[in-house]
Amino acid sequence: MATSVEPAPPPTPTPAVARHAVAREVGVYAAAILAALVLIAILLLLAGANPLVAYGTILRSSLGSLGGFGQTLNKATPLVLGALAVAFAMRGGFLNVGVDGQIYLGAICATGVAFALGTGAPALLAVPLVLLAGVAGGALAALPAALLRAVWGVNEIFVTVMLNFIFLLLADYLATGPWNDPLAGEAISRPIAAATQLPPLMPQAGTHPGILIALLVAVVLAWVLNRTRLGYSIRAVGDNPIAARVGGIAIGQIAVAALAVSGAVAGLAGAIEVSGYHQRLIVGISPGYGYMAILLAVLGKQRPLGVVVAGFAFAVLLVGSDSLQRSVRLPQSAVLVFQAIILLTILFAEAMRTGGTGRLLGVVRRRLA
Amino acid sequence: MVVAASGIAMRGISKRFGDVQALAGVDFALRRHGVHVLAGENGAGKTTLMNVLAGLYQPDAGEITVDGRPLRIGSPRDALDAGIGMVHQHFELVAPFTALENIVLGKEGGGWRLRKREQRRDVEALVERYGLAVDLDARVRDVSIGVQQKIEILKALFRGVDVLILDEPTTHLTPQEVDGLFSTMRQLLDGGLTVVLITHKLREIRGIGDRVTVMRRGRVVGTLERAEATEARLVELLMGARGSGGAVVAAAAPTPARGAPILELVHVSSLTDHDRPLLDDCSLEVRGGEVLGLAGVAGNGQRELAEAIVGTRPISSGRLRVGGRDLTRAPVRDRLLAGVAYVPEDRLREGILPRLSLAETFALGPHHALFKGRWLFDERRVRKLAAEAIEEYRVAAPNERLPTARLSGGNIQKVLIARAMLLAGMAEAAVLVAMNPARGLDIGTTQFVHRRLLALRDRGGAVLLMSEDLDELMRLSDRIVVMYRGRIGGQFAREDFDPYRIGALMAGTGENSPAEEALAVLGKNGRGDER
Amino acid sequence: MSAELFVDPQLLRLTVAIAAPFLLAALGELLMERGGVLNVGIEGMMAVGAVVGFLGTWGSGGSYLVGIGAAMLAGGLLSLILGCYAISLRGQQITAGLGLLVFGLGLASLLYRAAVGVELAAPRIQVLPSVAIPGLARLPVLGEVLFSHDLLVYGAFLLVPLVHWLLFGTPLGLRLRACGDNPRAADTLGVNVVALRYGATAAGGLLIGLAGAYLPLAITGGYSDGMVGGRGWIALMLVILGRWLPWAVVGGALLFAYVEALQFRLALVTKAVPPQLLLALPYLLAIVVLVRVYRGAQAPAALAVPYDREARG
Repeated sequence: MATSVEPAPPPTPTPAVARHAVAREVGVYAAAILAALVLIAILLLLAGANPLVAYGTILRSSLGSLGGFGQTLNKATPLVLGALAVAFAMRGGFLNVGVDGQIYLGAICATGVAFALGTGAPALLAVPLVLLAGVAGGALAALPAALLRAVWGVNEIFVTVMLNFIFLLLADYLATGPWNDPLAGEAISRPIAAATQLPPLMPQAGTHPGILIALLVAVVLAWVLNRTRLGYSIRAVGDNPIAARVGGIAIGQIAVAALAVSGAVAGLAGAIEVSGYHQRLIVGISPGYGYMAILLAVLGKQRPLGVVVAGFAFAVLLVGSDSLQRSVRLPQSAVLVFQAIILLTILFAEAMRTGGTGRLLGVVRRRLA
Repeated sequence: MVVAASGIAMRGISKRFGDVQALAGVDFALRRHGVHVLAGENGAGKTTLMNVLAGLYQPDAGEITVDGRPLRIGSPRDALDAGIGMVHQHFELVAPFTALENIVLGKEGGGWRLRKREQRRDVEALVERYGLAVDLDARVRDVSIGVQQKIEILKALFRGVDVLILDEPTTHLTPQEVDGLFSTMRQLLDGGLTVVLITHKLREIRGIGDRVTVMRRGRVVGTLERAEATEARLVELLMGARGSGGAVVAAAAPTPARGAPILELVHVSSLTDHDRPLLDDCSLEVRGGEVLGLAGVAGNGQRELAEAIVGTRPISSGRLRVGGRDLTRAPVRDRLLAGVAYVPEDRLREGILPRLSLAETFALGPHHALFKGRWLFDERRVRKLAAEAIEEYRVAAPNERLPTARLSGGNIQKVLIARAMLLAGMAEAAVLVAMNPARGLDIGTTQFVHRRLLALRDRGGAVLLMSEDLDELMRLSDRIVVMYRGRIGGQFAREDFDPYRIGALMAGTGENSPAEEALAVLGKNGRGDER
Repeated sequence: MSAELFVDPQLLRLTVAIAAPFLLAALGELLMERGGVLNVGIEGMMAVGAVVGFLGTWGSGGSYLVGIGAAMLAGGLLSLILGCYAISLRGQQITAGLGLLVFGLGLASLLYRAAVGVELAAPRIQVLPSVAIPGLARLPVLGEVLFSHDLLVYGAFLLVPLVHWLLFGTPLGLRLRACGDNPRAADTLGVNVVALRYGATAAGGLLIGLAGAYLPLAITGGYSDGMVGGRGWIALMLVILGRWLPWAVVGGALLFAYVEALQFRLALVTKAVPPQLLLALPYLLAIVVLVRVYRGAQAPAALAVPYDREARG
């Protein structure tokens, strides 16, 4: 038998080459962020502000003082949790655009349980129950989308988006109606009992322990993704759902699991916002966290660690912009614009770097049709 | 190198894709009129070279001259303007459009209205002239591959090409349709066209070529006139004068009395949403220690059959048994655990996890058995198994953490075969379902794959080999059945293998065709002779 | 509350009027998707269209033309951002679309505040006047329901046969549909896939911007954050519901418009039902409809798949 003709194997990437590739990727990211900062600076100029002063204000108010830092940690909590929620589902190729709705239903359930417990229960019992109610509420909010996806293949993007509006309206109804606090304002509920509120982490800074919970969740989700069968299945489905199916993975079950967990994490964020931050159910509990969460999940490359870092960065931006609002008359919506600019510049930069070859499998295409 | 006064000359063409040098300084001269065969094994660069000529790829170096004038072919449109048209291996047709719409697309005659009537007349004239019978109002997704090919040819003719490149045109055709294609080619030649035929099949090279250019590994290794193209000389050029590298041929199965049936399909049918039968009363059985070959032209239900066995397609009626256990309604996972190992035809789409590591792709499927009943996914164990497989199957990869998509097609197939073998090894009774396992692979890897299939058979496993390559089937199978229009019929024992009789069943056209008669005589039963 | 409430001519007339923005946005998205580009940022683009349309009209002292023109331009520009990313850079269209959505929502709010500042009374403009079609407007029921609307409504409905003819009766439409289904096939025949996709994307953006402008110009007379209220998402769904066919999209648009119109009516009539529940009706309907839609919808095969001429296999 003659020796077989084998094609030459692909050149083995040496460690130097691998490091070079990583450096290039980081470089592209940095260049994109720089471009974004320039674009934002232009916007600031148009609004009549000095960009350098503005950037300075942002950093100082969010990191420079204890109170500011505490606020940053508070704001980071729902951002990180929301982003973790989106990222977890995204690893499976599912797009949960309903984090807002899940935050609301989680907040609603948490408030409801808090009201039910009243002043009777001890904090050690009450607080975990309230948080658990949020988890359950969030999972429940995501369940319709999850089930419709699993059973009929209905795209979860639409369902979750529609549910956003529905749960927002539900919260609106409760906060203006049955749970309303006539002394506080139109769309604000009565306060929850002290025993059901999260104890402060750094009282001088006004920080609640939500950030620690968020970090814990990040660790847990990372472990689930990398060390469990469920995580493997989710990642496989996200990479190639057809091959996953041929490999015996029940896509419907994975969809339900991924979306339910995703919703649960978002619901937890809602509960923390009620229990730790506002101590009430208010209609503005999520000023667009849902959309921000998606941006963050993409920026953090869908990895728990990346998402935590990105979430913290956005929190800096959020808190900093709050103080900018006062000094430069920049509305809150400006933050959304800044975040979107950052995302778009990074998307563009990455696409230009990879030369734009369409991905092997039209996973995106299958999502919709 | 003499530049031909008339004809097309390609000089010094080079093209690189990432790490792969697909073409390295290729010279190719095409004389007008006649059939020029471009031959070589899979991966030799034939299609790439013609894609450059047809304007799909831009060469990194080299030039093209047409009738002595240098020409820059920057897009498919430039090629068409120069009179060069190509019918690709995978047709480029818009499925929901009709045949006529596909033919006139891009050359609708200008203006704001679609001139349906005038164009129909023009196309019908071409149909007449070249004998390409096509229903112009049929939607492309509803017609057979043979008809689709005719539409592709009409597309080129409609644009007045005088050079037509055919890339592996006989891949999906029955022997009878191949004859039809060659007669069409003769009509084209009569009409003054020049035809370039890309093929790797020896039979075709010798049958019709006036000239043959042989390529290997991105270079031209020789050009022969018809008279010089003896089989020996061709084989020498194709394989590289290192011996014939003889194809693997199966020895007779070791045990004459074969094992118990491992895979049984009993009157299995599967319907579409609109109640169209994709599988119609299919019965077959594969015993331990045998290779059952399933012949058929693509699109006759093979894919659906594989899906029904694997579990990704529901069975509407009938029974499926593996190792005696009824798995008709079982989910894919249970079938994998029972020993159904699948090597899909479309490796990239159905087989691998492209961005995840090789180890993680390798685990997909076996992981149910490896981690049965447990929540944790032991990555270290998976990596160890993958590393062993890489070693044993000589997969060209630096380690098991490489993203799977970085491997070449041949190496991916090795991984898939290794995975199937792992799965088979973990079950009591195993059946390997392999669909076109050697498609697109070079000789060496093909031999490797075939050897592994036979090894499983020799160990007592059952192999269901589905292939469109009759040669492959005849070399490896112990029995052959034919699939046609969702039905399984015909039953050929090894001694009775006859490509033309099998081909007739594969085509199965007409009321009183030999195929129908054969089917009637042999019955629709695909079971073994032994009772 | 009687059954007549549900088929009252006033209600039906309102339905037709409210259907216009759904229809315009859906037709715009339909053109884009027929070319193979998926835009999930409709909501954000409509928001920008709304604010630009409003500010253009308000700032020019009441010129609708300026407002409409500016809104269409804004929509076109935003869609080209997506187009560049999707067509030339071949990126993931859903992610970019969502980014564009957020950008649009934020930008709309930002522009409004920057232009209007902090005023006690929100600025308002006169809504578009309705133009009765002579003769037809006098018909008993149909006259009121169909033939006494503002020009944008007529325009929106007239666009339907126009888009249909464009897609199915012209060579341009044939080529565009080919780009959305099998761009490689079109490319090998010399069709300029890139140009057609950009063209369809831009055209779609113009319509989506116009759809956004309709809201302040013809319905409310002012701008407020969140006024798009999910219409962009519903328009996205209408395209699938209508199986990418212009005439079928009209049906879906009318359905949702009817529910929205009904909601206004019911809120006036009953106090028993909480207003939030009524407001939730369109979204609930959307979910129900979605489930029905996911049976055999034939998307353009190359929708959201980037085209690379030199890609292998």
